[in-house]
Amino acid sequence: MNGKITALIAGALAILATGLLISGVSPMEATKTLFQGSLGSLGAFSGTLKETAPLLILGLGVYIALKAGLFNIGVEGQFLVGATLAATVGLRVQGPVGILLSILVACLGGMLWALPAGLIKAYRNGHEVITTIMMNYVAGRFTDFLVQGPLKAAGSQEASTADLATDTRIPALINSGAFELGWSICVGVIGVIMLWFWMRKTVAGYELQAVGANPTASKFAGISAKKIQVWAMSLSGGIAGIAGAFQVLAYEGRFYQGFSPGYGFDALGVALLAGNSAIGLIPASLLFGILAKGGVSLQANGVPKGITSVVLGAMILVAASIRFRSVKSGD
Amino acid sequence: MTFAVELLGISKHFGAVAALDNVSLSVEKGTIHALVGENGAGKTTLMRVLYGALQPDSGEVKLDDQPHTFKNSKDAIQHGIGMVSQHYGIIPALTCLQNLILGAEGGPIVKVSEAKKRADELAKRMGFEFDWDSDAETLSPAGAQKLEILKLLWRNAKVMILDEPTAMLSPSDSEALFASLRKLVDEGATVILVTHRLPEVMDHCKTVTVLRGGKLISSHPVSEVTDRSLAELIVGGSLVEPPVIEPVRDLGIALDISKIVVKDDRRHDVLKGLDLQVKRGEVVGIAGVDGSGQRELFQALLGVRKIDSGSVSIDDQEVTNWSSAKRLQFGLRLIAEDRHEEGVIEDWSLEDNAILGLQRLEPIQKSLFISTPDRHKWAEVVAEKFSTKHGGLNQPMRTLSGGNQQRFVAARALEMSPKLILAFQPARGLDLNGTADVYAAIREKCKAGASALVVSFDLDELLIHCDRIVAMNRGELRQPKPEEARDRQAIGRLMVGAQ
Amino acid sequence: MIDVLRLALIMATPLCLAAMGGYTSERGGITNIGLEGLMLMSACVTALCSAHFGALGGVACGVLSSTLLSILHWLSTQKYRIDHVISGMAINAIAAGGTNFLYGKFSDPNNSGKLVVMPTNYFVVAAIIVPFLLWVNSKYGRFGIRLMAAGSDPDKARLMGTEPITIRFWGLTATGIFCGLAGSMLVSEVQAFTDNMTAGRGYIALAALILGGWRPIPTFVACLGFGFLSALRVQLDGTQIFGANIPAVWASLPYIVTIVALAGFFGRNRTPAGIGKL
Repeated sequence: MNGKITALIAGALAILATGLLISGVSPMEATKTLFQGSLGSLGAFSGTLKETAPLLILGLGVYIALKAGLFNIGVEGQFLVGATLAATVGLRVQGPVGILLSILVACLGGMLWALPAGLIKAYRNGHEVITTIMMNYVAGRFTDFLVQGPLKAAGSQEASTADLATDTRIPALINSGAFELGWSICVGVIGVIMLWFWMRKTVAGYELQAVGANPTASKFAGISAKKIQVWAMSLSGGIAGIAGAFQVLAYEGRFYQGFSPGYGFDALGVALLAGNSAIGLIPASLLFGILAKGGVSLQANGVPKGITSVVLGAMILVAASIRFRSVKSGD
Repeated sequence: MTFAVELLGISKHFGAVAALDNVSLSVEKGTIHALVGENGAGKTTLMRVLYGALQPDSGEVKLDDQPHTFKNSKDAIQHGIGMVSQHYGIIPALTCLQNLILGAEGGPIVKVSEAKKRADELAKRMGFEFDWDSDAETLSPAGAQKLEILKLLWRNAKVMILDEPTAMLSPSDSEALFASLRKLVDEGATVILVTHRLPEVMDHCKTVTVLRGGKLISSHPVSEVTDRSLAELIVGGSLVEPPVIEPVRDLGIALDISKIVVKDDRRHDVLKGLDLQVKRGEVVGIAGVDGSGQRELFQALLGVRKIDSGSVSIDDQEVTNWSSAKRLQFGLRLIAEDRHEEGVIEDWSLEDNAILGLQRLEPIQKSLFISTPDRHKWAEVVAEKFSTKHGGLNQPMRTLSGGNQQRFVAARALEMSPKLILAFQPARGLDLNGTADVYAAIREKCKAGASALVVSFDLDELLIHCDRIVAMNRGELRQPKPEEARDRQAIGRLMVGAQ
Repeated sequence: MIDVLRLALIMATPLCLAAMGGYTSERGGITNIGLEGLMLMSACVTALCSAHFGALGGVACGVLSSTLLSILHWLSTQKYRIDHVISGMAINAIAAGGTNFLYGKFSDPNNSGKLVVMPTNYFVVAAIIVPFLLWVNSKYGRFGIRLMAAGSDPDKARLMGTEPITIRFWGLTATGIFCGLAGSMLVSEVQAFTDNMTAGRGYIALAALILGGWRPIPTFVACLGFGFLSALRVQLDGTQIFGANIPAVWASLPYIVTIVALAGFFGRNRTPAGIGKL
């Protein structure tokens, strides 16, 4: 391992330890708190899984685009659009049909929300990062407006839709009181495995990765990079929309202002840390879930939860620079 | 005779390859000195040594009889050396004035009116005219070239190196350029002209130095040579006698290119109505110096560059408007010019690379899926064809040496029932045996009914291995006379535009 | 009306300062989505330090903090060659988390009164002067010309004897200073720091930079436009549309305008040609 990288990792850990010491908490103690709060009991673990589920599905969406060489920073917005649509449809069409229809509409909504970014990237050479950031803010403001106005539940004090009927919600897969396992996480895991298979075994998956790895060589291999970029971006948005639908149907039961605590951003971290195989999304999202859930326990002990974001930011930098080193040393 | 520049016994190795082997060059003060040679002869390397961009392994650089060692280009610039590279150093986003002074602004705050005054004086001296506040992107190629010359003057360059300065200029613009160069020389500047174009040498230069294969071949006053004798010096005598190749039986036309017009990246017509026919079973070589339009021709044939007019047919099937995917499925195969960028995905395994470009062909594709066992078998075939040395098919491509990558890429293009093989320098980076193997395989496929179009910058290679050779010069194909079809000198003359 | 214009100018000030920070970074070829994080870091440090070192000391510390963070972006993109977008994201995460942590730890909970801050007028003046300085620099400054060269074609710039990597260092230092001032301005406006108080202004600044075609004066004008939109939003507060407060949708206008611009409907794409290149 390169000396500079070692220094970077040491630096990240030093930041963390300093932060904890400043807070008057011993690093050992803090680590213990973090893991107890996230993995220490069945209840805590259920909470961690609940945090993990949207990150896993959203990470999956980011990952597909990333493999086609695109940064979909817009999953946050696509997630919000999907969630709003799912809540809207679910309130009007009830029962299992309503559930299926909600997911479908949310997926389409997410795709459409991502489509401009794909088109602008492929045909106008406008950077997808900028367009998706802008689309995130439009989605945020627009969905806020919807739940403050047209979609607001009658007589509600807060900006929120009405609650979905019980039969329009996706029940937990296992609920033993102490431990709860939702459908979302299973969908996420199944999605990861399907994606892994699709990337390895299908011609379309092969071509998508070729575009991401070397667009010029892809062109000479008869692959239409522009079309694939547009599709990858839309697909990515569709998956983010589905994540929104599951968050509404399986956990929240409604859409409200402030629905996402920044899942979209964390999902980018998940996809970046996942590495070369889609399977890596599972441990990466779990890590983020642990930090999110454990961070709450840390806060109760007097360490502001922001420290977890600092650690995540530092980890992303380290992971990205190590990737560069390993590619370079192969020359 | 006083020499402005003397390069004495310069040697430079890149790895095991000797790019320059004990080369000397003496340039008389106040003259235009031509440096000629084929691609890879070492011209640009020698000039980069003089410009301080490369450090020689041995040898000495003298300016006005004083020995100098340049640590970098900045050093060389300070000693009055300036270089205009082939692709120009003009930055389109800056104004003409900003381009002129970049790197030599004369202080943290640019005194624009003074700078403009001096710029105008320089321009006037050369008979140029510039709107200094306009964006450089509005400049024509000729305008950019003029600005490059003013950049040299701005930096008080006394020795000016021009690398292929007329490559992008029209004939009349080229004439104007030489008029300005003569003016500079009359004022005491020294010009070193690196070029492929012999008429320029004959008309404008005083002395000409020929390099071949990194070695100094000769240095003569231009008055003592003819363009014919010069062309012979450049291509040299053949090391091997070209074999007699039996004539191809007439089995019909495999590739019919009719009057195609194609633009280059700068939106200039590079192929202006090019015609070429390749018979079934024939291996046709395109000889020519780099940048004559070979690249654009291949890209147009593959379908990744737009054909503005004209048509292309393969096996009597018009393919002009087909996508490249469809052409590949039809049986077109490419050995790409730039292996790293166009031919392989370096981070991917050999097995994944083995099907790149063939991913939609039987038996690799089975409905929507890639048949993994077939891919594996295929990768083995590709790797074994030319005995690619590798550490396992699951290893990333970048672990292979250049030569082994080339073997792999060539085998990939040849082994899956090709109809038409487009090979750009198919033996790049291979030794003589490897080269022979690749061409033998191409010939074998052609015997079985395919055809091949081969581009190489090595005329000998084409003479040995092709049925027929055409020369490409400035986007035009020129057929040698029937009695000179295998005449090295004659083809060499066509390549460099000599009479 | 005068009130609206005054308000517009105040709203435009942090946008403009941050956008000028974006200019010195992106014009030199470094994509910077971390403007938001730089502003936030400076806002937090300004608020914390004002309590100890007074108004000017607070601003100085805030600017220093965002400059250090900006230099981290230079290190990771130029020395460690991390993708510019990834590095920018990481910087935003570090700033968002770091300010939450620092403010949570160091703010004095007993002192709920207003902070002593620099008057906002100073920042407004700076926001008007800086774009003109940068414009002059782009025409007459050696730094401006070299920055432009580094951002358009680093290879050619190197050939002409300049050092793009060094130029970019100073570009990002300027980014840190300008974004730092922008963050301090936010604190001066409300005399307090609140979690995530930048609320997307860094991205609006980026949008203004894009609309302005990466040129200082047009970017300044775009910021004024966005500031005016924000001021109108404040005026419209309370007006209902479909039962919702108009400001909710109104606030997304800058983003929509930017997307339309990126789609090429307002003329050619002026993105610096060498952006993201090493």
